[in-house]
Amino acid sequence: MGLSNLSRSLILEYVFAFVLRVWLYNSEFKTTIIGRVEVSTPVNSWKRVTEGVVLQKDGVNPYSGDMFHESPVGLAIYSQLIEYASPYLPGIFILLDLITGHLLYLTAVEYMKHLMRRQEEDKAEFSEDVKDLLLSQKDVERQPLYVVAAYLFNPYILFNTVAQTTTVFSNICLAASFLFMAKGNRWGSCVTISFATLQSLYPIVLIVPAAICVGYHTLPIKKPQKLTKARAIAPVKLDIYQKMLPKSLRSVNSTHWITSMATTIGLFFVMLTSLLFLSCHLSGGWEFLHSVYGFMLLVPDLRPNIGLFWYFFTEMFEHFRLLYLWAFQMNALVLYLLPLSLRTRRDPILLAASLTGITAMFKSYPSLGDVGFYLSLLPMWAHIFPCKKFFLSFFSLNLLVLFNKEKNSVADLQQGFIVLAAFIITSVLGPTVWHLWIYARSANANFYFGVGLAFAIAQIFLITDILLSYTKREFILRHGTSTLLHGKHGKLVLA
Amino acid sequence: MIVWAVFTLILSSVSALGQSGLYGDEFHEELVLKQLPSGHVYSYFQFTTLWENGGDQPNHHCHLFPQSLSEVLHLYNVDEMHLSLTGGLWRHENWGYPVVSAPPGAELWAWFKEGTHDVDKKWTLLSNALSGLFCASLNFINPQQSPSPKYSFAPLGAYGSASQNRSLLRYSTLPREIVCTENLTPFKKLLPCDSKKGLSSLLNAGNIHNANYHSLGIHVRPQCKDENCHETVLELKQTVSLVYDLIILGQESRDWSFRKLFGVGLAGPCPLAKSSKIYVDCSTNATTFDYNLSPDPTEFINSNRGGYNTVFAVYDIKKTHIINMFSVSATHKGPRVQSIISPPVIHATRYIVGYGQEHGGIVTKIHNNHWKEIDITLFENIPWFLPTYYHTLKITANGGKQVLKPYAKHYLPGRDRSRPYTLEFLVTLPPRSVTEIYLEFDYSFLKWQEYPPDANHGFYVGAAAITTLLPHTKNYTGVPIDGSTFSSSINASRDTYPVTLHTEILLVTLPTPDFSMPYNVICLACTVVALAFGPLHNHTTKRLQMLDPSEETKGVIANLRQRLNSFLTQSTKAKEQSSPAPSEVIKSPQKEEAACGSKVTSRKKDRAAKSS
Repeated sequence: MGLSNLSRSLILEYVFAFVLRVWLYNSEFKTTIIGRVEVSTPVNSWKRVTEGVVLQKDGVNPYSGDMFHESPVGLAIYSQLIEYASPYLPGIFILLDLITGHLLYLTAVEYMKHLMRRQEEDKAEFSEDVKDLLLSQKDVERQPLYVVAAYLFNPYILFNTVAQTTTVFSNICLAASFLFMAKGNRWGSCVTISFATLQSLYPIVLIVPAAICVGYHTLPIKKPQKLTKARAIAPVKLDIYQKMLPKSLRSVNSTHWITSMATTIGLFFVMLTSLLFLSCHLSGGWEFLHSVYGFMLLVPDLRPNIGLFWYFFTEMFEHFRLLYLWAFQMNALVLYLLPLSLRTRRDPILLAASLTGITAMFKSYPSLGDVGFYLSLLPMWAHIFPCKKFFLSFFSLNLLVLFNKEKNSVADLQQGFIVLAAFIITSVLGPTVWHLWIYARSANANFYFGVGLAFAIAQIFLITDILLSYTKREFILRHGTSTLLHGKHGKLVLA
Repeated sequence: MIVWAVFTLILSSVSALGQSGLYGDEFHEELVLKQLPSGHVYSYFQFTTLWENGGDQPNHHCHLFPQSLSEVLHLYNVDEMHLSLTGGLWRHENWGYPVVSAPPGAELWAWFKEGTHDVDKKWTLLSNALSGLFCASLNFINPQQSPSPKYSFAPLGAYGSASQNRSLLRYSTLPREIVCTENLTPFKKLLPCDSKKGLSSLLNAGNIHNANYHSLGIHVRPQCKDENCHETVLELKQTVSLVYDLIILGQESRDWSFRKLFGVGLAGPCPLAKSSKIYVDCSTNATTFDYNLSPDPTEFINSNRGGYNTVFAVYDIKKTHIINMFSVSATHKGPRVQSIISPPVIHATRYIVGYGQEHGGIVTKIHNNHWKEIDITLFENIPWFLPTYYHTLKITANGGKQVLKPYAKHYLPGRDRSRPYTLEFLVTLPPRSVTEIYLEFDYSFLKWQEYPPDANHGFYVGAAAITTLLPHTKNYTGVPIDGSTFSSSINASRDTYPVTLHTEILLVTLPTPDFSMPYNVICLACTVVALAFGPLHNHTTKRLQMLDPSEETKGVIANLRQRLNSFLTQSTKAKEQSSPAPSEVIKSPQKEEAACGSKVTSRKKDRAAKSS
């Protein structure tokens, strides 16, 4: 009965999401949404895709100009779409979005199963008073639904679909790579991540969590021990999820880790290189490298967006430009990769989600589609912080239900209210000050940049809070909820 | 002695060459005056220098040809060069066609000699040299912003082969260029008589820049020496086009004279000129206007060209005996009549559509008033800061009812900061139609140092050029391609009459950043990055610990002292090898947090040691 209930609500979500998208496509808001700088950036706007396709059709190399920044493989796909399926494009985009939602659902189901199994295995180590904190069967069933809802009813994702940005394509690649990661599928995750990287470069960081996931899944299965009393006491020793305990196994299997990760990363690079060669073959030269990746890395177009790059590099002094370009690109790409990978290696899916979030914040041409994607992943960790309703409320536009403190939550989303308020306010204020600056000409660039800064800060608080909450929960599960230290009340801090 | 002999020999040979060149060289000065249907007076000066041996040897004696220009042309392998410096807009709809067309601002296009390898470099050097020669900002022309049009701007000179290697052509405009006295003075210095004698003495800076429209032109091309065209001469045409609004000039009178237009009278012809003539177009006299010319012209010439008859009153200054000052004046009779202006066959306007500083569109409207179809070539050169969407190009006629398909099209997408968007196409305009060409663009956001002073004034977009062949000569005044002087246009009937039209230049206001804020923006953006870096750094490098909040609030020095204490006590304890610490509140973890637990334990040990 419960299952049918679940599937019923899942189907209801899809139907409702479909209707909502069809309505929005046919509404007058469509043209407004398409033109928004927050949604359509130079690297993902459909208008530029059309430009590239038409240029190619008319015999002009689209990479010779500065209007088209999609990969040649993407260009081949889009030109087929525009050529043969032009009237059905909205339908295709809606379908792709629904598929992305379902992929995320499958990812969440897989991940919740994994979390549950790991909890069962680790239970022996847990403190006695943390029963309330544990993942319940209800969470396992509900959280995937939350993920789907957070994706399909996320206004950012809605805008993204209606504007027909190519972020829809990169999101489906990312969602598939998350699913393959959760399943520990080496080939699948390598293919999807290399496609996502080919399109927008920044997902290259996901290969590290993917390699870790695959590494866990391919750990050699321990020989079943003889049926002894110990076997009876220690439960589910054979389960592959037991291999998620790195400390016990890492020392034993260091060669496995090295070979497994090297194989995954090597496979990824082989695939990426072959895709690049395919691109070179399709576009007839390497010119696209500069047009696609050079454009993303050197940031020549300073059109405003929700990121930090545009105004920073508008106002930058010429002799510092290169230095700060390096600094900002490293910040988005490699700076947090190693430390976070080491820190959250026990939970590579969380690592992947936080890396996706960090790149969505700090990449050179971020759009709301990128932000919406990682936000909709977060309900997978809804059990670790008190405001489960936070996501649901925000993304289903049900703003009245803000917080619902649940008794069993100890880890706290410290900035929850600030983040929520900042998201709402910046989402409203951004277009307003944009109008004042660009159309009414009564404000200037600083206003819009200020709103962008607030939006970025909100995202930063969200991601750092989730990482901290996760660590706190792990700590409390093992040390108990008591905050007594030496007879006095202690405080849990990073030190 | 031998040296002296050689020197004399060289000197004599050089002078001999000069003498031989002298006989072939010609200089003509002409002034055309025309009362336009709108009541404006169009005066067109043309100074034509023909250099017989021009283009043969680099160090040839120039005689009448300006040496400074000849050196530049030889040095940079220039076959043909057209430069115009213009203030104001020629209004085709009201004024008809000028003798030479020029867009507002500066325009320079040049064909380089066949076999020139580094055209871009030569082009840069040429524009820099001309910049110095004419005191104009032509040095701002750079090769990246100078396209090589594929169909427009065909060479006008006489060449041995008909092949047109378009890579030898460069075209550039500076729509913001302001033309003034500083350009006129060097322009006059190129003339054989400077402004001392001849028609050029009428070019009085104060009066010229008073005009509604003023345009200086330098046109160099090889021209046939004779009708057989076995040999070529180098032709230099220096033109000055002026359009005066008589109402503005004062006295609210329609009458005009040299004194009123130029401020001075004419003292006489340039002695070096082979011909020195003034043409007054009297075709509209007695129809649209009714005026008396004084003094009486030397002769009246009837020019029957392409079915249209034009009457010129000609004053041959060479033959006129000038006692004091010579001045042509027109005195109107009868009441002022507002005549119907019949627009020329092809004319165009261009403007920007859209509001706000986000998305916009450029509309070019071309009117075809002829009863037959006319083929045109349109050349659009849109600067890089207006990224243009080629797929939005719409060519429609008659209010969008008829979609026109160009039969040749060339598009070169622009590149940020290095190449403009160039669009060129050939299209047939339907008879009696208005064709609308629409292109969408985005407004760019530039770096703060890329904005010019007074950034909110806006950015200029150069004019579009429309090239076409007119079927008849209504409103047409151009000199035929095989002729040099204006007199060659008399009775010069041809099959078609080539004309180039330039549209308006556009002013686009790009969105501006706050120019006073670089430090603030850099600081704020870096702060946000640091806001992410700090917590993530903490999260990845530190471990969770249960700490006493009272201790946590201690200052830096207290913390340091405590650490030192703990270090000391630890070392003493290690010596003593004391027993383990008392009971632990926190259960020691076995896995990941083991290290963390032990740290807590060690701290507690410290505290225990301290308290004891």
